[in-house]
Amino acid sequence: MLVIRGGRILTAAAPGSDVPDVIDGGVLLVADGKISAVGGPELPVPDGADIIDATGCVVTPGFVDAHSHIGIYEDGLGWEGTDANECTDPNTAEARALDGINPADTAFAEALEGGVTTVQVGPGSGNVIGGEMLAIKCVGTIADEMVLRHATGLKAALGENPKRVYGSQNKSPATRMGNAAVLRSALAKARDYRRKMEAAAESPDKQPDRDLRQEMIVRVLRREMPLRIHAHRADDILTAIRIAEEFEIDISIEHCTEGHKVVDILAAKGIPCAIGPSVYGRSKQETRDRGAHTAGVLAKAGVKVALICDHPIIPQQWLRIAGGVAIREGLSDEDALLACTRNAAEMTGILDRVGTLEPGKDADLVIWDGDPFEYLSKARCVLVDGKIVHCLCGTPCHSSSGQGGCC
Amino acid sequence: MLLAIKGATIMPVSSSPVAEATLLVANGKIKALGPSTELAVPAEAAVIEATGKYVLPGLVDAHAHVGLWSEHYGQANADGNEGSNPLTPDVRAIDAVWLEHSSFADARAGGVTTLQTTPGSGNAIGGEMLVIKTDTVGKTVEDIVLRTPSGMKAALGENVKRYYGQTLKKAPMTRMGTAALIRQAFYKALDYQRKQEAGQADPSKQPDTDLGLIELLRVLRREMPLRIHAHRADDIVTAVRLAEEFGIDYSIEHCTDGAAVADFLGSRAARVNLGPTFGHRSKIETRALHFRNAALLAEAGCKVSIITDHPFVSIDYLILCAALSCAEGMPEDQALRAVTLTPAETCGVADRVGSLEPGKDADFVIWSGHPFKVRSRPEQVYIEGRLVHQAE
Repeated sequence: MLVIRGGRILTAAAPGSDVPDVIDGGVLLVADGKISAVGGPELPVPDGADIIDATGCVVTPGFVDAHSHIGIYEDGLGWEGTDANECTDPNTAEARALDGINPADTAFAEALEGGVTTVQVGPGSGNVIGGEMLAIKCVGTIADEMVLRHATGLKAALGENPKRVYGSQNKSPATRMGNAAVLRSALAKARDYRRKMEAAAESPDKQPDRDLRQEMIVRVLRREMPLRIHAHRADDILTAIRIAEEFEIDISIEHCTEGHKVVDILAAKGIPCAIGPSVYGRSKQETRDRGAHTAGVLAKAGVKVALICDHPIIPQQWLRIAGGVAIREGLSDEDALLACTRNAAEMTGILDRVGTLEPGKDADLVIWDGDPFEYLSKARCVLVDGKIVHCLCGTPCHSSSGQGGCC
Repeated sequence: MLLAIKGATIMPVSSSPVAEATLLVANGKIKALGPSTELAVPAEAAVIEATGKYVLPGLVDAHAHVGLWSEHYGQANADGNEGSNPLTPDVRAIDAVWLEHSSFADARAGGVTTLQTTPGSGNAIGGEMLVIKTDTVGKTVEDIVLRTPSGMKAALGENVKRYYGQTLKKAPMTRMGTAALIRQAFYKALDYQRKQEAGQADPSKQPDTDLGLIELLRVLRREMPLRIHAHRADDIVTAVRLAEEFGIDYSIEHCTDGAAVADFLGSRAARVNLGPTFGHRSKIETRALHFRNAALLAEAGCKVSIITDHPFVSIDYLILCAALSCAEGMPEDQALRAVTLTPAETCGVADRVGSLEPGKDADFVIWSGHPFKVRSRPEQVYIEGRLVHQAE
């Protein structure tokens, strides 16, 4: 049994939860890698429990980034570590991010230093359909053992990237029309495949040959997972919505740089948006109107918003800084926390496990030495599944006797 | 025209912060500053009430590519690397700076009032850079120049050999090849100097004009430094080897792996333009990237400026880079100096900018709070006493 006691606990719990969203001098109990209780100072601490004194600190859920390329776009390796875009065909739905993740990527350790414990990793945006995404924890040496949920979405992309990659080879897609046509055709083809699969359920002799690409897209058509569509410009965002409605699929908008220009539509249709990287330059025409204000505008309108680093575009450990800059430009402190925790987990489909500090959830949490969004703050201690995975004094500092170390 | 900023905490950088202070500006220059109780504000002065706010010098970025390329303009504005020859000492950034580039507005919004904008690192010798103010509206580049040329760009490491060796199958193909090209270029300049001298005695021996060699001779005469792109420790040491061989003035640009050779650089009080650090380790030569390097290099005795290398970190996030360097161990006053006075000194413009001192240009920023607080923003930015940015 491990107890975190004395800090200001920001649980990120939703209204209606048994747990309040802010607890001063709170007590949080961890048993068997799960949160077993969260409460105020009056919550009894079991005898013999290891105690981490969090007095003066802020305790939050481990941060969740809903859009990352960590592990498949590795730090400091150049070509060798670049495994995010299988740009040999504009539709590679059969590709799986899991097969490209290198747990030895040094960015994982830095993610933990920055309080990021869970990420949704997906292929890049070079293809119109890039492949399967998954949610992993930032701890482990075997990719399969890091998996929290698999699969969490299928990556798609509109706008500049696919048309640049293929158009420069005089191949389709060479335009935004081409991007949409490739996506629409892929969905239509998978719809045909689905019909054949269903026909085969009644007469096995009609079983179509296995086609991993079609099977993956069928999962989107069955709404088992959303299509997560890279769209910066407002018109690309609208194209994504147009195609989603045509095929009656779930989507999220990834990046959403010009989301503030179509905020009413995003709000009316209830489309979740993964916003970022905004602490970045206007590197392409489609990001010319980038600004850290987008998240605030969307959140105020009621859009479900997650902030993303798009690692490596912004290194994973700086998710908290993306939150801070968004706060400066109008996002409320409360919404910033949700955008880095509960909302990101909910959008990734893993809210049953992570994203809030509530009994029964994985004991993934961060003890910050101050406001997590401030430049000068640090994650003093980070836990994943109840284990200390990062501590400012070095790892692991917390002995089973509760003695020694900075905690 | 008299302007008085009243009531703020003034952080002049060159001296200790003063609480509840007044800054007096006259004719675009700083006239005086001090505690409001001691400094009389003339009746004719326009007064800006700034109680609770922070006033700092305009930020200075010693290494950026503002106006030269990238952003959303594509090939139309790809003017940073004259990739037709690995040695282009004859090209000048002043001939390519596009003042309508959106990065100037971003610079002003981020409180950056002066920057050194430089050719890229695609060539072993890339050309001349210049130092400019960022108040571009209605101006020509000549109007905003503080110093040109302010340095000659050189580059070691991956970029040059990748472009020429790997892509074009030309020299240089290796780190050895890059160093050899730079070394040969300077010896060629020395030969040219001998011919020029012979030509002065005997006009028939006057060599043909060679604009590149003429500029390299200015480097050899220490009229401007060679500013050498070097990430990896061995590239940094090669840069120093080359510079010392010719007795030229230099600065190390990027210096990502500098902490590995901190004592070597510190013993030389090397000028280090450190960054970009708020980014990923996109290349093998950037593996040592970390915000702690600023503190480590400064402790060793280097003169550290923190840079964005815009567009690699967007110019409006220079203050963020200083704040995160502070978070990783650089004392606050040093981290602020690393984005103001030190880069001004490194760029050779500290007589004009980089600190709030009487006689210097009235380039200053009114911050809503301490600049190392993430919620603080530059509310008003002034260049030479003129408001150039007002936060919405």
